[in-house]
Amino acid sequence: MTDDIEIKDKAAWDAAEKVADYEHGWSSDIETDFAPKGLNEDTVRFISAKKNEPEWMLEWRLKAFAMWKTMEAPDWAKLNVPPIDYQDAYYYAAPKAKPKLNSLDEVDPEILRVYEKLGIPIAEQKLLAGVEGGEDGGLPQRRVAVDAVFDSVSVATTFRAELERAGVIFRSISEAIKEYPDLVRKYLGKIVPMHDNYFATLNCAVFSDGTFVYIPEGVRCPMELSTYFRINAENTGQFERTLIVADKGSYVSYLEGCTAPMRDENQLHAAVVELVALDDAEIKYSTVQNWYPGDAEGKGGIYNFVTKRALCQGRNSKVSWTQVETGSAVTWKYPSCVLNGENSVGEFYSVAVTNNHQQADTGTKMIHNGKGSRSTIVSKGISAGHSNNTYRGLVRVAPNAEGVRNFTQCDSLLLGSLSGAHTVPYIEVRNPSAQIEHEATTSKISDDQMFYAMARGLNAEEAVALIVNGFAKEVLQQLPMEFAVEAQKLLGISLEGSVG
Amino acid sequence: MLQITNLHANVGDKPILKGLTLSLNAGEIHAIMGPNGAGKSTLGYVLSGRPGYEVTEGSVTFNGQDLLALEPHERAAAGLFLGFQYPVEIPGVSNVQFLREALNAQRKYRGEAPLTGGEFLKVAREQAGALGMDMDMLKRPVNVGFSGGEKKRNEMVQMGIIDPALAILDETDSGLDIDALRVVGDGINRIMRKPDKAVLLITHYQRLLDYVKPDFVHVLDGGRITRTGGAELALELERDGYKELAA
Amino acid sequence: MSAPTRHNEAWRYSDIAAVEAAWPLPAPESIIVPAGGTFARTIIQDSGTIHQLDIAIGKGATAAIHVLNIGGDYGRVELNVTLHEGADFKLGAVQIGGGSQTLEVITTVTHAEPGATSSQIVRSVLAGTATGTYLGKVAVARDAQQTDSVQSVKAMLLDRSATANAKPELEIYADDVKCAHGCAIGELDAMGLFYLQARGITPADAKKLMLQAFVAGVFEGAADEEALTEAALAKLGDLV
Repeated sequence: MTDDIEIKDKAAWDAAEKVADYEHGWSSDIETDFAPKGLNEDTVRFISAKKNEPEWMLEWRLKAFAMWKTMEAPDWAKLNVPPIDYQDAYYYAAPKAKPKLNSLDEVDPEILRVYEKLGIPIAEQKLLAGVEGGEDGGLPQRRVAVDAVFDSVSVATTFRAELERAGVIFRSISEAIKEYPDLVRKYLGKIVPMHDNYFATLNCAVFSDGTFVYIPEGVRCPMELSTYFRINAENTGQFERTLIVADKGSYVSYLEGCTAPMRDENQLHAAVVELVALDDAEIKYSTVQNWYPGDAEGKGGIYNFVTKRALCQGRNSKVSWTQVETGSAVTWKYPSCVLNGENSVGEFYSVAVTNNHQQADTGTKMIHNGKGSRSTIVSKGISAGHSNNTYRGLVRVAPNAEGVRNFTQCDSLLLGSLSGAHTVPYIEVRNPSAQIEHEATTSKISDDQMFYAMARGLNAEEAVALIVNGFAKEVLQQLPMEFAVEAQKLLGISLEGSVG
Repeated sequence: MLQITNLHANVGDKPILKGLTLSLNAGEIHAIMGPNGAGKSTLGYVLSGRPGYEVTEGSVTFNGQDLLALEPHERAAAGLFLGFQYPVEIPGVSNVQFLREALNAQRKYRGEAPLTGGEFLKVAREQAGALGMDMDMLKRPVNVGFSGGEKKRNEMVQMGIIDPALAILDETDSGLDIDALRVVGDGINRIMRKPDKAVLLITHYQRLLDYVKPDFVHVLDGGRITRTGGAELALELERDGYKELAA
Repeated sequence: MSAPTRHNEAWRYSDIAAVEAAWPLPAPESIIVPAGGTFARTIIQDSGTIHQLDIAIGKGATAAIHVLNIGGDYGRVELNVTLHEGADFKLGAVQIGGGSQTLEVITTVTHAEPGATSSQIVRSVLAGTATGTYLGKVAVARDAQQTDSVQSVKAMLLDRSATANAKPELEIYADDVKCAHGCAIGELDAMGLFYLQARGITPADAKKLMLQAFVAGVFEGAADEEALTEAALAKLGDLV
């Protein structure tokens, strides 16, 4: 029983607990079902057929693919990325398993073993044991419903029954396309349009799975929702598609986390996340990202090109993005909020750590169209090793948006003298009643701080971890409690080797 | 001099003053006391015309004029002076420049000739000296870097220079130590205790009233005047609190 | 070389038609401040022209530039500054635009060597459908330790549909540095305006006074401080 609770308490990712090497650097011997290598129209059809999609979905994908062929990858980010050969990869990898998964008994036991190893609470029974009270000394247990994505296919969704009682729809997007086509069609591609950018268009054509969430009017989702990603097979790009719709007056907190195995070839991750919040609704979206960053020489690692956007459509709607980015070799993501609703609120809290030869170009866009809309941006960048860490942000106020408020704080912490920290903020204001404030600072850990911490008994790496956590505290505070603890550990681990 | 009749006023959507009636004659010093949130500062802001404060009912006459029909700068020129509870900092504009422009704007409105630079500095030096402030302070930007007490004394210097007919002083005693309190109190008496002037002291505590003895004390509670008395009322309130005297 | 387009970062908010009309531009004026020397320049852009300066500041030398950008349909002042060891650069710039003017101040300050300091203060006041832009990049090279760099950018919009753009950019490759920037865009403080009016100053004069306060201090220390301030106030007077 204690074991069960322990697993529950460490729900989500059990990121590097041990020192040094990437703990999850192994792959499992699972039979995988691949699409033929390469990317052409047949690949798109293959994916759609594998998922038994309705005609409209296939047409949507083909339209996107045709569009993608006419586009060019963007090159304006401060990133040094060798050209990606899009033909030299597999676009679909599903672990072979029984076609329909109603209960966990049907899941390939090898998969269950993988998740157990990762510490993900996929076993429904184990989770429930802690929940009913009494078994655990009456302490309220955090409940997390998990939709596990394993190499492009959602494996199991737990807690379905309880969510259904509340009216919450929490499905893999493949299921949702079939079960709730109207709802999906209403919003899919409306927040991030098909033509938005190169990687989003690619995603539209070849997305394989992801999460769909719908919270009905007035419902406060009774538990945190979570999806776990894992890229396993060699040379597969992961193209998740997530759509979360919060209807009027609803609330949901969603957690996204990832790990990936060591590989020599770079792997591509081009996800699209769309969020919609209607009147008085709130979505909290948290990400702790620990993709494989490449080895100390800069070889291997994940390319993370993600488009995330929230539409705060309703009045008083609110979307909060919180991210802790420590992995991936190359990161390109700008979770953004389009603030259309009157008095809508957008928030972006980010800690991005780069070490060794990682490169990150990340930030946010807050587009203020609605009167009285407000946004808060807190970005903490930590650069170590030979890495480069860039914050790129946009705050834009439309002429008719009266009474807009924005506060932005970008802080960079440089560890060692071989890394780079960059800040590129764009501020475009067209309404005189807006109050926009932006501050940026750059610093290093001072010798005094290090000495003080070490004089109190911490070794160099522990001291750095402590100080870095203090630096990042404001962002870590935004995470749901359990993840904050994991994130703190992750920060310390991701900086290993950067001291001395 | 000032006749407020059945004044109702909102701050944003919220009604704060709910039928306030009060009159002041020249030569009188009135004190308004009351619990927090009762509307004391609101009264001051409504009388001086701060944006965001909307009169929904009632009237105010000042020396025969409809005060509410005037813009804030016109009310100042008509002889009204609001001592701010939180005097505003204006970086880059010196006190001297600010006050000379203000005074001359008022004189212009009244059809009087402006003061020359030299004439103005003479007045400014006198008033500053009387309140224990040196000219260096006056040359600094308005209220920038001033302590709370210094800001309040600066308000009094301004009052001395502008020499209004009616002073409405909003919690002028807050943030003052004993010495400053005495200086400010003496300043009010010197400048405003005259047969053709009147003062409305808005205060939460009665200690300023030890230095500036009021002729009338009113209790403002729930947006209205609930009680009126002489100076001894202030001492009663201090002793028994506002709840005891709830109307 | 053909004229730039909006895709060229340094021209992203420019009046491209005006740029094309002025193209090709003469080579930027090149200024070399010798080690230990001092340099000061006042630029009053009041006729719709493009000023481009490349300034190399030698070891321990100082340079101070004051800019008032107020005239013509399209006015651009572009400074490319390189700092050597222990050098110091100061910029005080004011932009005041009305009508449909497009005004921009574009700076690239490179701390190429250690121990240099730079400080940039930019204030913009925009009315009508004017556009005022500040693109300011501070680049700190790999070994430029002990750099101390500061940017203070503020803009005030007087009318809806005036536009303020700001991009205070940092590119930092050294760790023992102090680099900070602050950018604020807003409107005149309502309480400040009321305070002035409650003392008898008319609304228009109150506005002028506060705008004057807003640009105050930028020209402190300039040789032509009075002339600059006068010209700035005159332009402000036109706007209000």
